Amino acid sequence: MQKLVVIGAGMASGRMLEHLFEAAPGAWDVTLFNAEPRGNYNRIMLSPVLSGEKSYAEIVTHDEAWYDTHGVTCRFGEKVVGIDRDRKVVIGEQGEVAYDKLVIATGSNPFIIPLPGHDLDGVIAYRDLDDTNRMIEAARPGARAVVIGGGLLGLEAAAGLRLRGMDVTVVHIMGHLMERQLDEAAGYLLRRALTDRGIEVCCSANSKEILGEDGKLRALKLDDGTELPCDLLVMAVGIRPSVALAKEAGLETGRGIQVDAQMHTSDPDILSLGECVEFDGQIFGLVAPLYDQAKVAAQTLTGEASEYIPREVSTKLKVTGCDLFSAGDFAEGEGREDIVFRDPARGVYKRLVLEGDRVIGAVMYGDVADGNWFYGLIKDGTDISEMRETLIFGPAFQGGASVDPMAAVAALPADAEICGCNGVCKGQIVAAIEAGATSLEAIKATTKASASCGTCSGLVEQVLAVTLGDDFVLPTAKPICACTDHPHEDVRRLIKAKELKSQPAVMQELGWKTSNGCHVCRPALNYYLLADWPLEYTDDPQSRFVNERNHANIQKDGTYSVMPRMWGGMTTPEELLAIAEAAKKYDATVKVTGGQRIDLLGIKKEDLPHIWADLNAAGMVSGHAYTKGLRTVKTCVGTDWCRFGTQDSTGLGIKLEKRLWGSWTPHKFKMAVTGCPRNCAEATCKDLGVVCVDSGFEISVGGAAGMELKETEPLAKVATEQEVIDISVAFLQLYRESANYLDRPYKWIAKTGGLEWIIAQVVDDLDNRAALIERFDISQSVYQKDPWAERATPQYERAWSPLADLTKEAAE
Amino acid sequence: MDAATATATPARAFIGVSEVWVPEGDRLVHAAGDYGAHTAFEEASVRTSFGKGEGLPGKAWAEGRPVVLKGFDGSYFQRTEAAKEAGLTSAVALPVFDGETLKAVLVVLCGDDETTTGAIEVWAERDGLLMLDDGYYGAAKHFEWVSKHTHFPKGQGLPGGVWAAQTPMLMRDLGSGYRFIRSESAGAAGLTTGLGLPIPVPGDQNYVATLLSARGTPIARRFEIWDAREARVGRDGGAVLVDGLCEREGALWNEENPKRAQDWQGPIGKVLGTGLPLVIGGAQIAAGYSSMVALPIHRDGEIAHIVAWYL
Repeated sequence: MQKLVVIGAGMASGRMLEHLFEAAPGAWDVTLFNAEPRGNYNRIMLSPVLSGEKSYAEIVTHDEAWYDTHGVTCRFGEKVVGIDRDRKVVIGEQGEVAYDKLVIATGSNPFIIPLPGHDLDGVIAYRDLDDTNRMIEAARPGARAVVIGGGLLGLEAAAGLRLRGMDVTVVHIMGHLMERQLDEAAGYLLRRALTDRGIEVCCSANSKEILGEDGKLRALKLDDGTELPCDLLVMAVGIRPSVALAKEAGLETGRGIQVDAQMHTSDPDILSLGECVEFDGQIFGLVAPLYDQAKVAAQTLTGEASEYIPREVSTKLKVTGCDLFSAGDFAEGEGREDIVFRDPARGVYKRLVLEGDRVIGAVMYGDVADGNWFYGLIKDGTDISEMRETLIFGPAFQGGASVDPMAAVAALPADAEICGCNGVCKGQIVAAIEAGATSLEAIKATTKASASCGTCSGLVEQVLAVTLGDDFVLPTAKPICACTDHPHEDVRRLIKAKELKSQPAVMQELGWKTSNGCHVCRPALNYYLLADWPLEYTDDPQSRFVNERNHANIQKDGTYSVMPRMWGGMTTPEELLAIAEAAKKYDATVKVTGGQRIDLLGIKKEDLPHIWADLNAAGMVSGHAYTKGLRTVKTCVGTDWCRFGTQDSTGLGIKLEKRLWGSWTPHKFKMAVTGCPRNCAEATCKDLGVVCVDSGFEISVGGAAGMELKETEPLAKVATEQEVIDISVAFLQLYRESANYLDRPYKWIAKTGGLEWIIAQVVDDLDNRAALIERFDISQSVYQKDPWAERATPQYERAWSPLADLTKEAAE
Repeated sequence: MDAATATATPARAFIGVSEVWVPEGDRLVHAAGDYGAHTAFEEASVRTSFGKGEGLPGKAWAEGRPVVLKGFDGSYFQRTEAAKEAGLTSAVALPVFDGETLKAVLVVLCGDDETTTGAIEVWAERDGLLMLDDGYYGAAKHFEWVSKHTHFPKGQGLPGGVWAAQTPMLMRDLGSGYRFIRSESAGAAGLTTGLGLPIPVPGDQNYVATLLSARGTPIARRFEIWDAREARVGRDGGAVLVDGLCEREGALWNEENPKRAQDWQGPIGKVLGTGLPLVIGGAQIAAGYSSMVALPIHRDGEIAHIVAWYL
């Protein structure tokens, strides 16, 4: 009998021994070392052991009897201290063993982030049964656990600890969970499922330090200063191949122990397999490739020709009730095409990534029945051109069902608010329909839903259609873009009604047809979300047009214009000197604008952070000349200088501008305050204009002086400046909350059926006016910040510098 | 699992009778039952039917919720005399709803003595927590007291886990490893295995039932959880065995190649086909057991899961 020594009794070597004993029973005298004091168990089932849904006994793959039957000499709990390749012996703590062939299957070590405090009592990795038992021992109801790492293992640990009664927070450095296996949309659904289990999830969170007290863990500190108190901290941030032993023995190693396709190391008598190896630059962490390697290694040992060929792997998460599947490559890329299916009511998301006529990636959440079929298509490179149209529906489907555009409305609970103006919920509308109100007009009459601003009428019609079926003919509405069947109005209302607070949430719950939206819908969604949830939603620069992203207007020659804010059109000699110096320094063209400001044209992109810093230093901030937001408040000189001035129009303009600047709006928003009816500041063609008169102030709205020319309509006449400011703020906030993205106020007013409803909201109803102002101020607490000051930093300078001077290279 | 020891030790059953009642017109009629040696009670039962609100099954139907009844004397229980003669003193009725429609009511009856230990509990959501609605515990009096003073947030413990996942769960080693106060008491009472299952009812109320089994007087010697959701098994139907534990066969789950059941094939297939609970005894039962109860859980217009227990 030949002598085989195996170092490591994990799943890979265990499977290899099974193949070996089956192919060549009695041919090998096997000695098996394992540092753990036990034999082979199904390590990937440790998570259910942690949660209590499996016992350790159930996950033992090879028990004592199995090893006895196959004559394996077990040296469990004994570490191997060296390999003497010249003498062909393995040196264990208890003595040497000679080998004819040696298999190294030392697996991997968990990666410990070297944060300050990582060695505190209570900080553990998650790798083996001992780690699992330590977690079980530490888990007490009411105690707090933090899991660093939102990958497979981290999430399984979090779910297990939660079941054990702990308050669990997952800290993940990336923007969404399991980013290596899931796209953002599936990551959103997974996060929702975990949150439903009471697990707190912090994404884009960077751990900075582990805090302790008397040598014991106290909290995890994030780089934003947040402290997460915890009694247990689990690090599940990845693994590193365990190569030390092989390296000391002089075997070739890279990231792992280097092996060929027959699993030979650089020594032909030594094989290696599992998580410790590196093959063709790849290392391995999932079980499927390990089992493939096990088969090849066994065949190599028996002298059978065999070759290890890496294949695509699929992923499943072992958290009861979370059904997800991921396989292949699902990154976006040129020449790739997505097929997306969403069912908001069932929480289902499926996405296939196609390249030509081949499926190269599949991600699915909530419905994984066809996962293995898609996995087969990916592995086999099947030509799917014949079934492209119905592919997403799986192997059993050939009928070509379409996504139900009304699924989102059908899934709304009865208490979801459909009409925000009148506080009417879906249940009330359904009750009215069932009582005989079978048209939009009847619903308006009986419930008042859509009887005010009318922006929810599309939704009310959908409720009618869902409730009445074929008895109601749904009018067609123009959707935002090809990604969705919903028009802007419905999306705005549903974001509020369903409390959707992220783009993935909107796309999933409203059944978007694409995985990630497009250049049309993303800016709209970004605006709606930041307007409705200023404290919860984080502005996404990637969902903005280039000028807003760069905080400057790009010009036809690729340079930018820079325009500092001049409050109410007023400036000072010091500001003008600073502007002049900046213009000279950056070789700018200087233009006085119609909005009573000075525009510096021809600024190179890489100079932007510098000129912003220079203008900031002179006390000036961005004029937001590039935004869908407040542009200028144009004023005349008013009572301070003008013989005809009736009020301090300049002072009022400055007050208004200082209150409103920085807020994002559906489209650009221009204002003016003029000191008398002579209207020198042209207030009657602005989005909101104030005309000062002897008795007070006349506020009018909805003007335009661009492609369309339109005079403003009177909104209110008031006596005091404070009323002007309050009504202006309330009007702007109402516009922010209810207008469609890219609708100027005059278009929005027309869609609401005229000013009557708006006057009621911001002029007549004082409580509502106050509520609008309060919501505006909450938003301003987040968004009234000078973007120049935030970006005039070395970090931005680097980011905005050109990678290379291509003009010179071209010249050479 | 020490099968030899388990099967060699005779044990008293915690549940004495299991029966299924199905709606027929405006009444619930007897559909199936396993009465063991309680033949007189069986004879009384098969002749009986219940209107909505009548008796224990009718109450579960009318109130649209699981009902625990301890002590039949003076109660709405209608077969009190026959039950008393059979030594049955407590019962739990688990309604099986498919949306708004009642498909059946499963009733289990237990004898009240000081020797059988186990628990059949009903947990209901109140103020965002699962509180004990009621339960039958046999001789596990301390555990009963602890349970009455326990609540579970979403995602925690067996009831909270079932509530959060909306899927049945099977917990091992209830008495060890857990740090819940309830677990210490469960360990002291000899409770080992816990099956938790959601009980969907019309409306928004959440109910979770748990069957906690002790080694000496087991509720069952074999538990199975089958996943029948189309989202898991596809459009061809059937179900896959996603978890299970058997004193005779050990772990029943197989991650790589789970056992499948097809509609109308075998007892689980019959539940898939009819959508109704099944109570059977006899030779067709797996692993040589003498009786089996299989309970479907309907959700979103389909059978989502089936739980089965064997004795």
